[in-house]
Amino acid sequence: MSAPAAASRAEARRGPFPWDLLGVVVLAIIAAFTPDLLRFVFDRASVSYLSIASNALSLAILALSWDMLARTGNLSLAHAAFYGAGAYTTALLVKHADVPLWLGIPLGGVVAVAFALLLGSFTLRLRGIYFAIATLAFAEVLKSVVHHAPTDFAGGNAGMNVPALFRPVFIAGEMERWEVAYMRNEAYFYVYAGLLVATVLASILLQRSRLRHAMTAMRTNEEVAGVMGVRATRVKLLAFTLSSAFVGMLGAVEAHRVGSVLPEQSFSVATTVLALVTPIFGGLYTTLGPIVGAFGLSSVQELLRRTFADGYLIGYGVVLVLTILFMPRGVVGTLGTFFRRRRKGAQR
Amino acid sequence: MLHIARRLIVLVAALALGVTTAQGVTIGVLSPLTGGSAGTGLAQRAGFELALQEINAAGGVLGEPLRIIVEDTQANPAVGLAAFEKLMTEDDVEFIAGGFSSGVTLALIESFRTFQPIVMWIGGAVSGIGIDGFDGIEELIGEEEWFFHVHPWDYHNVEAATAFVADTGVQTVTLLHEDSAFGGPGSAGAQALLEDAGLTVPLREAFTSTLLGGTGDFRAAIAKAAATNADMLYWIGYDSDVVPLTSQIRELNYRPQHIFGAPPGWPSEFAAAPEAQCVTGLIGFMPNLPTPEAQAFTRAYVDLHGAEPDNYMAALAYANLWAYADAINAAGTTDQAAVIAELQTGTFRSPIGDWSFQPSIIAKHQGFTTDLWLVFQYQNGVREIVWPLEKATAPLVSCR
Amino acid sequence: MDLNLLAQALVSGILAAGLYALVSVGLALAIGVIGIVNFAHGEFFMIGAFLAYQLFVSFGIDPVWSLLLVAPALGLIGALIYTSTIRFVLKAPELNQMLLTFGIGIILTNMALLIWGGDPRTIAGIAYRSIGYQVGGVSIGLVPLASFVISFTLVLGLYWMLARTPIGRAMRAVAQNRTGAALVGLEVNRVYLVAFALSAALAGIGGVMIAVIQSPTPGVGLAFTLKAFAIVVVAGLGNIRGVLFASLFVAISESLVATLVPNGDTLRNAVFFAIIFAVLVWRSRRVA
Repeated sequence: MSAPAAASRAEARRGPFPWDLLGVVVLAIIAAFTPDLLRFVFDRASVSYLSIASNALSLAILALSWDMLARTGNLSLAHAAFYGAGAYTTALLVKHADVPLWLGIPLGGVVAVAFALLLGSFTLRLRGIYFAIATLAFAEVLKSVVHHAPTDFAGGNAGMNVPALFRPVFIAGEMERWEVAYMRNEAYFYVYAGLLVATVLASILLQRSRLRHAMTAMRTNEEVAGVMGVRATRVKLLAFTLSSAFVGMLGAVEAHRVGSVLPEQSFSVATTVLALVTPIFGGLYTTLGPIVGAFGLSSVQELLRRTFADGYLIGYGVVLVLTILFMPRGVVGTLGTFFRRRRKGAQR
Repeated sequence: MLHIARRLIVLVAALALGVTTAQGVTIGVLSPLTGGSAGTGLAQRAGFELALQEINAAGGVLGEPLRIIVEDTQANPAVGLAAFEKLMTEDDVEFIAGGFSSGVTLALIESFRTFQPIVMWIGGAVSGIGIDGFDGIEELIGEEEWFFHVHPWDYHNVEAATAFVADTGVQTVTLLHEDSAFGGPGSAGAQALLEDAGLTVPLREAFTSTLLGGTGDFRAAIAKAAATNADMLYWIGYDSDVVPLTSQIRELNYRPQHIFGAPPGWPSEFAAAPEAQCVTGLIGFMPNLPTPEAQAFTRAYVDLHGAEPDNYMAALAYANLWAYADAINAAGTTDQAAVIAELQTGTFRSPIGDWSFQPSIIAKHQGFTTDLWLVFQYQNGVREIVWPLEKATAPLVSCR
Repeated sequence: MDLNLLAQALVSGILAAGLYALVSVGLALAIGVIGIVNFAHGEFFMIGAFLAYQLFVSFGIDPVWSLLLVAPALGLIGALIYTSTIRFVLKAPELNQMLLTFGIGIILTNMALLIWGGDPRTIAGIAYRSIGYQVGGVSIGLVPLASFVISFTLVLGLYWMLARTPIGRAMRAVAQNRTGAALVGLEVNRVYLVAFALSAALAGIGGVMIAVIQSPTPGVGLAFTLKAFAIVVVAGLGNIRGVLFASLFVAISESLVATLVPNGDTLRNAVFFAIIFAVLVWRSRRVA
C-alpha cells in the first residue's frame, strides 16, 4: 500500500483539513490582541483606530449576515428592518423593563428573527427582483409602523435614548482621560469581534453542511432544486433566521454605542445598501468575501477622507466601479481564481 | 528594548501618515460635509474658513497662526464618533467646534464627557425639555463646565416664533410640521405656547419632509389646513420643503393672512420666486442686515467664497471660531480653566452683533437665545425684516 | 368629512400619478428591455433637475424649453455611461449591475455636491408653479396637470414605439430573447445603447419636472427612485402600460389616506409600500 493512498484514506475518514475553522481561530486570536497591539504601537491614537476598526467589524457583520441569505438566491432589501428591529428591541427593554442592559442584544436578535420569519413566510414564492422589492417594501412599512407607534411606547419622531453598555470610570491621578475612552472602545471592539466570530462560525457551518449544496442549487434554479429533493421552504427560512439574528444583535449593540434610536437612523435605506454592496465588492457566497469587502471598503473610505478635503466619496464610487469591471467576482473571488490558476500553472 | 521598538514603530507610522508636529493652537471641527445635511456642514465650514483667515491676518492665536482640522461626520452617529476620537487622540486638539444633527450629538455626549475638551457646539437644538421620557441634549449635558452651546435651544426658537405670531394680531393658527425630532416636539411646544397666549390652534398636522423621504406632494395636508380657514399658516420643516409648500398653498387657493415658516434655512434664490411674495420666515442671520457687523461679514464672505452667505450656520460658525480666538488670546494660555473663565465672562464679536454665554434652563453656557431670531418677509423680491419691531426695515403686510 | 376635501383628494391623487408614471417609465425601459437594475436612475433625475436649474440661472431658459435640451443631454450622458461601463456587465449577475450602478450613483451625487453645493437650489422666476384652476371648489394645479399630460403622452408614445417602430420591435425582441435576436441579425448592443439612452433621457424629463416642483439637491432623486422601482416591479417587468395603472392606483390611495387620516401625509410611504407588498405577495400566491 502506497503512502499517498493511506493518507488520502485517512483524510477521507477525518475529512479534509478544516482550514476554515483554523481561520476562525486565527481571526479570534488576532482580534483578541488587536486592542493591545494598537495601544502599544499608537498609544492614545489607538482610541481612534479602535473606533474605525469597530465600524469595520460592524460592516463585516452586516455584510456576512446578508450574504447568508443571498446564498439561497434571494436578494433581500430588508436588512435595515432587522437591524432596526434589534435596535428598537433593546431600546424598548431599557425603557419599559428593568432588565440587565446586555439582555437586549440576544433579544434584539430574537425579535429580528421573528420579523424575518414573518417576512420569509410571506415571500416564499417570490423570486428575483419581485422578492427584492417586497422585502424593501416590508422594511419601509416597518419603519413607518415604528415611527407611528404611540410616543410613550416607542418614542415616536423623537426616538429613544439608549444607555451605553460600558461606562468605565475616570479616576483622577491614576489614569489619563484617553485611557477611559480606550477601555470603552476596547470593550465595544470585543463585543463586535465576538459577534463577528459567531457570524463567521454560523457561515462556515452553513458552508460545511449539506445545506451549502441545497443553497447553491436553489440559487441556480429553485424549481430544479425542489425536484432534486431540496426542501426550499425550510432552507430559505433557516437562511432568513441566521441572516436576521446576527444583524438584529448588531443593531442592538450599535444602539447602545450611539446612544439613541430614531426611525430614520435605525431603519435607514443606507444600511440595506451597504449590506449588499459590501459582499458584492468582497466576493459573494463565501465567508471570506464579505469580511474582505468590509475591511477593504472601510480602509478605502478612511484613506480617501484623510487625503481629500472634498469629493472623497467620488473616489469611493470610482473604486466600486473599477472593482466590478475588473474583478467581476469580487476581490476574493477574482484573486482566488488568479492564485488557483497560478498554482496550476506552476504544477504543470 | 521594547521602548525603543515602540518609538521606532511610532516614528515610522508617523512618517507614513505624514504627521507633522503642529505649532500653535489647533481647533477640531466636526461638520456633516457629505450626505443629506451637507448644505449645513459646508456652510459651517465656509464660516470657519472666513474667521480663520481674519484671525490669522490679525496675528493669530497666542502669537502663532491658528489651525483648524475639519472632519466630516456624514451626519452619521458612528462616523461622527470616530471623527471626534480622531481629533482628540490623533490630532490632539483641545478645542472642538462645529456640530450639527441631534442624532450625532447624542452619540457624542458620552465621549465628550470622557475627554472633556472644551466643546463649543453650534447645532443639535433638541433640548429634551418638554418631551416626556426622552433626554435631549441639554438634559444630558447638564451643568458641564466645558460645554458651550452656540445655537438657540428648541424652546428659544419656539418662543421667538410664537412671540412674533402673537404680535401679528392673528386669532387662529394652523400648524403644519415635518415629523422628525425637529418638527415634532417643536410644533407641540409651539401649540402649547400659542394656546397659552390665548390663540386658537384648530389643527396641527404632520407631513413627511422632502429631506426625509417625502416626494414633496403636500396637497393633502394643505387642503386640510385650508379647510380650517385659520388666519395664519405656521409651518416647521426643512429648507427643501419651502418651494413645494409655498407653491402648493397658492395652487390650492388657500389665502391665509400670513404664511409663516421656521425651517433651518431658506433657499437663496427663492426671494425672486413669485410664490415667495408675503411669505414670512424665522431666520438667524441675513446678508442684508443693516448693521455694520453684518455688512462687513457679508462683504468679506463674498470676497473669500464668491457668493453671499445663504445659510445662517456660516454666521454662527464664524462667531464660534472668533469666540475661541478671542477667549484664548485673552487668557494668554490654552489652559482649560483659564479659557473657560474667559468664555464665561467675555463678550464676543459676530455678524449678528455682540454675544456672550449665559445659563439656559439646565446648561451653564448658552450663546444665542430668543434674541437671535428675526422674522423677515419677502416683499417684492426683497427680504425685509419685519420683526422684532426695533430691527424692522419694513412693516409687516398681510397676504390678503 | 367634507365632500370638497374628498374630491380634492381624488383629483390630487390622479394628477400625482402623472409624476409617478413619469419617474417610473424610464426605469421600466431599463429593467424591461435591457434587464439592468439601474441603482443610478435616481441620480439621473438629480442631474436632470440641476441641468434645468443651471440652464435657468445661466441663460434664463424656462424649464418648459429646457426639457428639449435636458432630455437629449441626459440621453448623451446615459449613452456615455452605457458604452464606458454598463455594456461590460450585461451578462454579469444582477448584483454586479447593482454595485456598478450604485458606484456610478455615488460619483454623480458627490460631483453634484462639488458643483452645486448641498443647499437646495430654486428655479425662481416661474409663475406657473403656483397656478391652480378652481373648478367647483376643487383646485386643479397647472404643473400637476401638465406633468400628468406629459407623462401619459410619453408612456403612450413609448408603448406605440415598442409596438410599431422597427427599433421598438427590436427592443422587444432582445428583451424576450437576446441570443435569438442576435441570431436573426439584430445588433443587440446597439439596441441596448438606444434603450439605455432613452431611459436616461426619460429620467432627464422627470428631473426637469422635479426641479419645477421642488428644490434640486444632490439627494433629490432617492425618494422617487425607491418608489419608481416598486411601481415598475408591481406593473410587471417591461409592462409599460402597467406602469400607468400601478401609478394611478398607488397615487390615489396615498392621496386618500393622506387626506382622510389625521397626520396622514406621514403615512404616504407606509400606504405606498404596504400596497406594493400586498400586491406582490398576493400575486405570488395566486399564480402558484
